[in-house]
Amino acid sequence: MPRMWWVLGVVVLAAIFSAYLGWTAQRVERVHARAQSAERALDAHLLRRAAAAAVVAEHRESVELYAAARLALDAEPDERESAENDLTRQLQGIELDPADTAARTLIVSSRRVVLARQVHTDLVRDALTARRRKMVRVLRLPGRYPEPSYFDIVEPVMPPLPAPSPAPAPEALPVQAV
Amino acid sequence: MRIGIVSPYSFDVPGGVQNHIMDLAEALIELGHHVSVLAPADEDAELPEYLVPAGRAVSLPYNGSVARIAFGPVSTARVRRWLARGEFDVLHVHEPLTPSLSLLAVLSARGPVVATFHTAMTRSRALAVAQNFLQPVMEKITARIAVSELARKVQVEHLGGGAVEIPNGVAVRKFASASPLPGWPGQGGALGFLGRFTESRKGFPLVRTAFVTLARDRPGLRLLVAGPGDRAELFDEIPPELHDRVEFLGLVSETDKARMLRSVDIYVAPNTGGESFGMILTEAMAAGAAIAASDLDAFRRVLDGGRAGALFPNGDTAALTTLLGDLLDDPARRDQLASGARQVVGTFDWPSVAGRVLEVYTTAIEATDGRVFDDDGV
Repeated sequence: MPRMWWVLGVVVLAAIFSAYLGWTAQRVERVHARAQSAERALDAHLLRRAAAAAVVAEHRESVELYAAARLALDAEPDERESAENDLTRQLQGIELDPADTAARTLIVSSRRVVLARQVHTDLVRDALTARRRKMVRVLRLPGRYPEPSYFDIVEPVMPPLPAPSPAPAPEALPVQAV
Repeated sequence: MRIGIVSPYSFDVPGGVQNHIMDLAEALIELGHHVSVLAPADEDAELPEYLVPAGRAVSLPYNGSVARIAFGPVSTARVRRWLARGEFDVLHVHEPLTPSLSLLAVLSARGPVVATFHTAMTRSRALAVAQNFLQPVMEKITARIAVSELARKVQVEHLGGGAVEIPNGVAVRKFASASPLPGWPGQGGALGFLGRFTESRKGFPLVRTAFVTLARDRPGLRLLVAGPGDRAELFDEIPPELHDRVEFLGLVSETDKARMLRSVDIYVAPNTGGESFGMILTEAMAAGAAIAASDLDAFRRVLDGGRAGALFPNGDTAALTTLLGDLLDDPARRDQLASGARQVVGTFDWPSVAGRVLEVYTTAIEATDGRVFDDDGV
């Protein structure tokens, strides 16, 4: 009889452990997938900002701003951070009028860079925290996901939000996202 | 966008978080979005159309006051049903770390989650201890909003993470359109003060001294005071011959607060410290009053460095008296301050604040599926 209790105990423990393992694996998977999505979104907003800056630079015939925008657009991955910092520095010096369409696009995309970077940093931190856990390391739960890294740029200034545009028509709303 | 908002506290009892949620939901609806708010409430209570009751709340002592919240298996089932039916693009929870519907919603949510932190929780040591335990909750939150610099600091220092600071909005239209109390502001000039006059950091003694000094040479000058406190205690400190020139309203409702702010020529904010944001200043700005405020950092920021209200050195009664005297004699300067205030307060108006919240929603959605929306597509 005592042996049966032993077996039962081991089975129950194994069940609890595998449930815990499954839950942890799911969490690890999720934080990594999100860190990747956030990186893609940040990348897209940085490109938009640089493109908008290039347009504004053309309008103003500002050579320096145009060069900074081009360099940010063309930068290799290892030069990206410093190129974006240079662009941020260039943008700090200029006044943008929200009534001008190109300037407005630049304001909106600059704001989105700040937000996307904030969220990216948080999600990368979550993923790195998960990776540091012993069980996650030993069992290699991150699997196919590479180790995410922070995007190390100076905090860009956040220009004030232009006055809200009128309510979009319902069909102009983004479609179901999730 | 389809937006699901969760309130931890019941709407049966008024409170800052509940007001915030209601104003935000209405502003978002006005901008053309679909909004559903889940909150603890009785099913037979009178509720706004967008509010989904999640059942009766129980009273629990929390953070120095009593909060009415719902928690448990029944609430969990309701949260899940609401989430499944809502098909939300984004879930926005408030105060997700209190045991509440918000926490349940975060745990059950699959898609992007935005969380707003209202209180700067003072029990930060307990929070640091709980950090490991809270990690599964925190990592489900995609983007975080803090309503004040202080709330943001708690995030950064104790929960290991940043937050976007978006202040409380103010319903500008409501304040701008309120009608003044009968007979106010009158011809001789009217000063206003709102707050607990017995609390030293609210700085009421400064206004009182300035008023008493100025009232000697200005026979028409009057003072309007609102806020909790004992009438006798207020009048005790004022010379008897001036009693009929001071009016005390006691604790006022939101509506009367707006009327009170519309009834004065100059609203005085003599606070000596402790104001984290200065909500009352944005309300006075919305009401179109000229403002005289102490030069606290928070006030300076809200008043745009003095464009939207005159600043005086913190705690300096003589400087306040001089400033008020000058302002009373110079209606053009008062108009100038009031019109500056009307411009600046636009940034705190709910449609504008809701626009900033929408940016965070979009960022959270993008960080969850990697798709990027058009700039003005929100």
